[in-house]
Amino acid sequence: MATATAHNDESTTLWNGGGSPFKVSYGKIMIWYFLINDTFTFASFLLAYGAIRYTNLDIWPKSSEVFSSVPIPFAGIDKLEHLPLVFVSIMTFILIFSSWTMVRAVQEGHQMNKYGVIKWLIPTIMGGLAFLSCQYLEWSHLIEEGMSLTYCPFGKLGNGDPVSFGALFFLITGFHGLHVLFGVILNSWLCYETANGTFQKRGHYEMVEKIGLFWHFVDLVWVYVFLCFYLL
Amino acid sequence: MSSHEEHGHILPEAEYKAGVKDVGKWIIILGVVTVVEVLFAIAWMEWFKLPKRPLNIILIFMSLFKAVSIMAVFMHVKHEKKGFILTIAIPFLFLIWAIIAFLWEGNCWRHYQELINYF
Repeated sequence: MATATAHNDESTTLWNGGGSPFKVSYGKIMIWYFLINDTFTFASFLLAYGAIRYTNLDIWPKSSEVFSSVPIPFAGIDKLEHLPLVFVSIMTFILIFSSWTMVRAVQEGHQMNKYGVIKWLIPTIMGGLAFLSCQYLEWSHLIEEGMSLTYCPFGKLGNGDPVSFGALFFLITGFHGLHVLFGVILNSWLCYETANGTFQKRGHYEMVEKIGLFWHFVDLVWVYVFLCFYLL
Repeated sequence: MSSHEEHGHILPEAEYKAGVKDVGKWIIILGVVTVVEVLFAIAWMEWFKLPKRPLNIILIFMSLFKAVSIMAVFMHVKHEKKGFILTIAIPFLFLIWAIIAFLWEGNCWRHYQELINYF
């Protein structure tokens, strides 16, 4: 199939053997390997979380007590209390939704439909921004309740133990939030370049696929962050 | 759908529509699984107050299902070559042992701590 590529000058030398390994382009394979690499970074964080949680199993705070309110400003009442997991479910839905709009953008890219790509990239960017805003609200609510990198007001002893809970929560969700931020920046750049017609001129929308892979990965990691921090 | 190395090759209309429909189906499944997860967690812990361990096992399997379906459908893995799927999947096998080892280790630290507190 490699010989049928639109890149006439590359079709014979593709990876220098006349074809690509696994019939996947170089850029896509490398983004996959980067994602596997990143998976292990996140996995090491979550493993540290697991090990430390097991060490302090008896005093570990209950997730339904820590994340029990919906910190929406201007909602009439200050905070909607005693609604465990509701806010974080909203955040999960936002990410899954934006993952879907990204797939749609990739599909439109396959059809070489420039306006379709832009149309589906915009809700993806909005979803990313909405997620970051929700994370801001949640963080500021928790900080207001007294949680910090070295103090956890929710432990069973009430003396700030386990101290590592705050550090683990803020750093792991923060690292994930940083990925979302990069995703939003990449998607915005992608949207701009698509509107400029760069990919139309290039003859393929592979960049949409590559950034799409990164965006789905961010969603994938959130599934596990959601599981470890909020559900278990 | 077999090869995406062919740039500038537009899919036939029927295949495109089938792809859109497939993705639409999976986004609904993922949403439903998330709702069920949350309702399950709340009902189990808050309403019935049952022991946590069986719930955790159910939730871990539901998350695994979500992760695999995101990779297979959204990240397009199910349409790639088998060798490529294995290249991606095999490194994850290391994590199975890592999870067991680190939880084991954490449990061990807890016993040490109890020992220290005892004396």
